[in-house]
Amino acid sequence: MTFFLLMMLCGMAVSGCAGTESENTVKEESSVISIPIIFTVDPTTGKKNNQELADAFNKAYAGKYYLDVEWVLETEEEYRQNLRRMNVTDSLPAVIYDVCTIPSFYMMMVEEGRLEDLSPYLEEDLSWKTKIEPFVLQGSTYADGEVYLGPISTSAFTCAGMFWNEDLFAQAGIDRFPETWEEFWECCDTLKEHGITPLALHTEGTGWAPMLIATAALAESKEGAEFMRQMLPESYDNESGLYLGEVLQKLFSYTTDDALHADYDVAYSNFFSDKAAMIPNGYWQIDQIPENRGDEIRFSSFPEHTLVASPETFGWAVVSSYPDEVKAAAVEFLKFRTEYNKKEKETLFNQDLTDKPQVLKDYLKAFSRADQIVPNYQVKWNSILQEETLGVALPLLAEQKITPEKFVQMVQESVLEFKAEQ
Amino acid sequence: MRNIMMGIVTDKYNFMTEKTGISLDTLYQKTEKVTEECILNDQVQQSLKAKPMEEVDRNSLSKYFAYIDLDHVSEYCYVDNKKNLYTRSYSKIPYQYFEDSLLVQQLGTSYADTRWFVMKDYLFGTGEEALFVGRKVHSLNYAHEPGYLFFKMNPEFLQSLLLEEDNLTQEAAIGIMDPQGRICAYWYPEGFTLSTEQEAVLADYAQTQGYGSLVENEKISGGILSVYKQEECGFSVFTLVPERVLGKEITKVFWVLLVIYLLVIAIAVVLSIYFSNKFTKPIKELNRAMTEFNGEDFSKLVHLNTKTELDQIGNAYNEMLSNIKELLDEIRTQQKELRTSELNMLISQINPHFLYNTLDTIYMLARINKEETTMNMIQALSKYLRLSLSKGSEIVTVEDELENVKSYLQIQQIRNENLFTYTIDCEVDPKETWVLKLILQPLVENSIKYGFCEIYEGGQIRIHVYKQDGRLILTVYNSGIPIAEEMAEKINALNGRLLSEARKLFPKNAKNGYGVSNVLTRLRLKYGEGVLFTYRAEQDGTTCTIEIPGEGEQHEENL
Repeated sequence: MTFFLLMMLCGMAVSGCAGTESENTVKEESSVISIPIIFTVDPTTGKKNNQELADAFNKAYAGKYYLDVEWVLETEEEYRQNLRRMNVTDSLPAVIYDVCTIPSFYMMMVEEGRLEDLSPYLEEDLSWKTKIEPFVLQGSTYADGEVYLGPISTSAFTCAGMFWNEDLFAQAGIDRFPETWEEFWECCDTLKEHGITPLALHTEGTGWAPMLIATAALAESKEGAEFMRQMLPESYDNESGLYLGEVLQKLFSYTTDDALHADYDVAYSNFFSDKAAMIPNGYWQIDQIPENRGDEIRFSSFPEHTLVASPETFGWAVVSSYPDEVKAAAVEFLKFRTEYNKKEKETLFNQDLTDKPQVLKDYLKAFSRADQIVPNYQVKWNSILQEETLGVALPLLAEQKITPEKFVQMVQESVLEFKAEQ
Repeated sequence: MRNIMMGIVTDKYNFMTEKTGISLDTLYQKTEKVTEECILNDQVQQSLKAKPMEEVDRNSLSKYFAYIDLDHVSEYCYVDNKKNLYTRSYSKIPYQYFEDSLLVQQLGTSYADTRWFVMKDYLFGTGEEALFVGRKVHSLNYAHEPGYLFFKMNPEFLQSLLLEEDNLTQEAAIGIMDPQGRICAYWYPEGFTLSTEQEAVLADYAQTQGYGSLVENEKISGGILSVYKQEECGFSVFTLVPERVLGKEITKVFWVLLVIYLLVIAIAVVLSIYFSNKFTKPIKELNRAMTEFNGEDFSKLVHLNTKTELDQIGNAYNEMLSNIKELLDEIRTQQKELRTSELNMLISQINPHFLYNTLDTIYMLARINKEETTMNMIQALSKYLRLSLSKGSEIVTVEDELENVKSYLQIQQIRNENLFTYTIDCEVDPKETWVLKLILQPLVENSIKYGFCEIYEGGQIRIHVYKQDGRLILTVYNSGIPIAEEMAEKINALNGRLLSEARKLFPKNAKNGYGVSNVLTRLRLKYGEGVLFTYRAEQDGTTCTIEIPGEGEQHEENL
């Protein structure tokens, strides 16, 4: 026994010193194709946007494609700004979104060949194309007829209207949302008389909340509606431009004191902490309603059954500088998203709404009864106006430091500047 | 063996290659970050807009590049999309020079990659080869022509990678080469030069696809080679350990290993002897204790303290001895009791005739004197004794057992007028079901003695005999004071224990024995471990249950 142990220990000692041949560390490619993408985590609610979509795709294509999500805590506005930074440093993920909400950026990306043309893929796979509503596909098609934005299936989830607080309305003795613009202004006055701030607004970013209401109001007239359909209007020095300035100035007389120089998150907080009775936004905000809020949060189209929507803003693009196999995988993901969106719509419209939140029922009702869909100004108007002029002009307009005429002048200057850059 | 030793010697150089490679990664990322900051700079972006910048802003922008966070920048040059050059204030370089320098061509078709390249400097006028870092600068917002940004780096830029490895560069040749295999920086030991063959091998690796550690400790002509390639810039770090260094190092390692081996063998011998003794000694002790055990002396226990499994074996042996002793004691006690029981049985069978005759005489006297109660009592006692005494068999029919207990109950009813009533519910065939005799009477006695100790009338006793799940079940219920939970638990816990333990808990002479020991002992002796004897406190009384395995069949032994 002693001898055996001796031999065993000697053996262990020798083998312990031997070591192994070091492995070659040259990295090998995995057979699963990874599709880099950035999704935002809402800084206000902490919700991971598009998580269900990502999980569903990764499950459906397990072992073949992998949507490699980088979760970033930032607002949608911050994401858009980062897109531009990532582009100039050539560090864009393979799939990007919100591209066309900055028209100049979108145009630049197309002109510099940074986005993959998806029209061959659409023509090749007609089952994909047929899943897309013509209105959505038309919006997603670029001026040259090519498609750079992988469209969603339906415009059902893209519309913006007004969220309103039924309890605050009731306190002012109002039992329904106004159906005409005249009633809307009366509603604001009544709320104000009862000590309730009517509107949750802000001036930073592209002035999303006030601009939604103002552009919807502008489209009440035939000329205004026509003006809203123009791509990159060359002149705001007209009745539409002036009316826009007047409405904006009037809107800010019904909002909170902290609206100036604040971003949308401030307006959001004001509305959901009952400091204001109305906030405009789209369908996607239904998911962002705090859990503790009950059925007092309602949704209506803007007066005159008007909704604001540009489905192309929901189109996602594939970055062309990626290798072909990654781009092909990214296109598969866009197809999956279209299908996913289609199923979502079918589920939404075919479900039993009895136990669903009132706000969802309101949205479906507003969508089905909409008389007019006004294009989103973000995809129509020049970037300098949206990103530089409005941030300066809206606070001045709100504080009555400039007149609507001066506002029009400032807007017009942005047009000239933009033209010069083009 | 030689390969193993070679591995030991070259590992440190390989580690150094990798470490330097990772430093190269960091250095590239630094240039990427700095150029990114430049691209995103407001003034740089302004310079790309359609509207020309003011002279003062252009001067300011020229100076901006002088303060970037990157060491060893020899010169810089930024060119906007309007052919304006931004360089150090003392460099007034015409745009044509820039165009002729061919720097732009080095950036290729990439959109905005950070590029490292080595080329002759025709821009700043030295004409010498230098490392340049270049990148295209695009507008954030508009599709304008891009600008171009270039940094010409000092030799110290790459040399900074190896400052910490000075001592190793005395022995091995280390170098950095560009993607074409041109060596941009090197640290060679004194007198070392690369052979043409070695240069060709290095150039091959520089142009190889892939990145990271391309090769580790590969034997090539004249030494051992390791190469690490940086992913983005394509530059590689290589280490070549010359053969003469290897020979020297291997000899050193050989002696060290020899000493270690000798030391290990010596330790192994000592440990083997130690552990051998440690394990065999207790085994021997255990062996001796087992072989010496004669079945009589249970006091020789084994005491091991090895802190191994052997301790458990020793303890198990001790426990086994203890169990054997206990079982032997049990058997002896049972045999003694059995003998006593048999003796008593014999004695009790001698006298019955005399007893019955006497009882008959008393009965006749009572009848003459018309003492009806006395008559009934004598009649009941007579019946009771008939079963208790006259029938020598230990097993009787349920009919006889119930007759016996009924007699006892009648006697008790006469003794305690109005104290209780009783019912007997027999669901089995009393003539064909067999049971150990005199097991119900002690239970009934307990019912009267303890259950009805605080009442004077109205008590109830119910006897129930039935079969269930292949078992014969006899229950005695009394409506008196419920048995104390503690006592019931104590009795119930006897099931499954050794008889000797039951006797310890309920000694024969104990006042509150409940006849438990007697009944349980007899039941267990007759029916074995399968019999169950339980007490249960009810809301309004106590139930005692006897469960006998089998269904009271008439076995031969029952006759």
